[in-house]
Amino acid sequence: MKEVKVEVIGPEPPCMRCQAVKRVVERAAEKLKQSGIMVNIERANIMSKEVVQKYGILVSPALAINNTVKVMGRVPSSDEAEKLIREAAE
Amino acid sequence: MDEKTVRALRAGIILAFIIIVIGLLIYSRIMAYSLAPQSKPVDLRGLPIWQIPIVYLIDYFSHGTVCLLFAFTVAGLIYEFVPKEAITKYMGSGRVAGYGLALGMAPFLTVCSCTMVPLFGGVLYAGAGIGPAITFLLMAPAANILTILLTGEMISWEVAGVRIIASATVALVAGIIISKTPWGKAVEKEHQVANAAATAKIELAKPPLDERLWAALKFAGYLAKQILPFFILGLIAVSYVEAFLPEDIVGTYLTGVTGILIASVLGGPLYTPTLVEVVLGKAMWDLGMSKGALLSWLMGQPYDVANALAVSRIAKWKVVLTYMLIAWAGSVTFGLLYGFLSGSL
Repeated sequence: MKEVKVEVIGPEPPCMRCQAVKRVVERAAEKLKQSGIMVNIERANIMSKEVVQKYGILVSPALAINNTVKVMGRVPSSDEAEKLIREAAE
Repeated sequence: MDEKTVRALRAGIILAFIIIVIGLLIYSRIMAYSLAPQSKPVDLRGLPIWQIPIVYLIDYFSHGTVCLLFAFTVAGLIYEFVPKEAITKYMGSGRVAGYGLALGMAPFLTVCSCTMVPLFGGVLYAGAGIGPAITFLLMAPAANILTILLTGEMISWEVAGVRIIASATVALVAGIIISKTPWGKAVEKEHQVANAAATAKIELAKPPLDERLWAALKFAGYLAKQILPFFILGLIAVSYVEAFLPEDIVGTYLTGVTGILIASVLGGPLYTPTLVEVVLGKAMWDLGMSKGALLSWLMGQPYDVANALAVSRIAKWKVVLTYMLIAWAGSVTFGLLYGFLSGSL
């Protein structure tokens, strides 16, 4: 079982498009589970010092997979999210 | 058909749609028909109460649909294709670059209000400091693509141009002044993050063209869904303003120096991030408001209350009050200046 950490980065309380990203990731995670990839979804606050220190300025909503920002300022499709996570798992 | 052909086909169809939308706007330009509503206050006055908004809405949408379609499509496209990574990287790099990018890029990054306050926080934390952050914050709502396109199409491109220049000047001045105040510096110090912007950790994935185009249109649709319901409510209100606000009240209170002062004060609390201020401005302009007062009215939004509340969570109230005051003074100054220069005070 491989593990992948996915951070959904947005403002708190979450904006609508950030919630959309989270739903997309959850859907992708459901599919990936069947092929043996465990996805840990975390929510990160775009305005916290930790996030800024780690990633610098981001455009919300952003998606970081295994500590690398892969998507920002848009909502990816479920297929794309699945592909990105799969790549990170390999 | 293999996947490549399918993708190329999809991209082609979406591009064709975009070209048609742009073509429609150009066509309306060539044929020189107006995209703004044509009904005059006099036409609305004789109607029964319930008919006023219906007549006005039909009038608006028979003219304005092309303009709205164009504005939303272009906003979606620009937002999707603007190189976000490059911008965020340089925004944190230094003061001069920070101010420049805050002014130049705010219009393209902030069609959606949910990105504005986070970006303000990011700029503040990640090194450029409070000055560029404030500049960005004030520039963003005043000059985003949707507002500018609508101001240009509905009121006039002259007013839209003046609005951009005036907003940029005020935003820059406010940023510089606040970065010099003791309370501004205190906020900056509190939030500064050491060795921020580890940009090595950003490797954005680029989806194929057809998916990006589709995402752009989807975002345009999202914007429309967010804004249009309020916009239509606003239009209904505007129809009653046109019908029932007597011209002599507008002539007395919304012209001259008094007009500018009143318009600048009303612009803030009445500002709704839904483009209504443009339509309402046009309605009052039709009723006789001066150009100077119109500009002050349109510039009122940076100190609207909802925005200020969100920002005050990060910055201190003193900072918020300072920039509101500067923004207000700026809208009055530019209103007077523009009114004087255009001969419509």
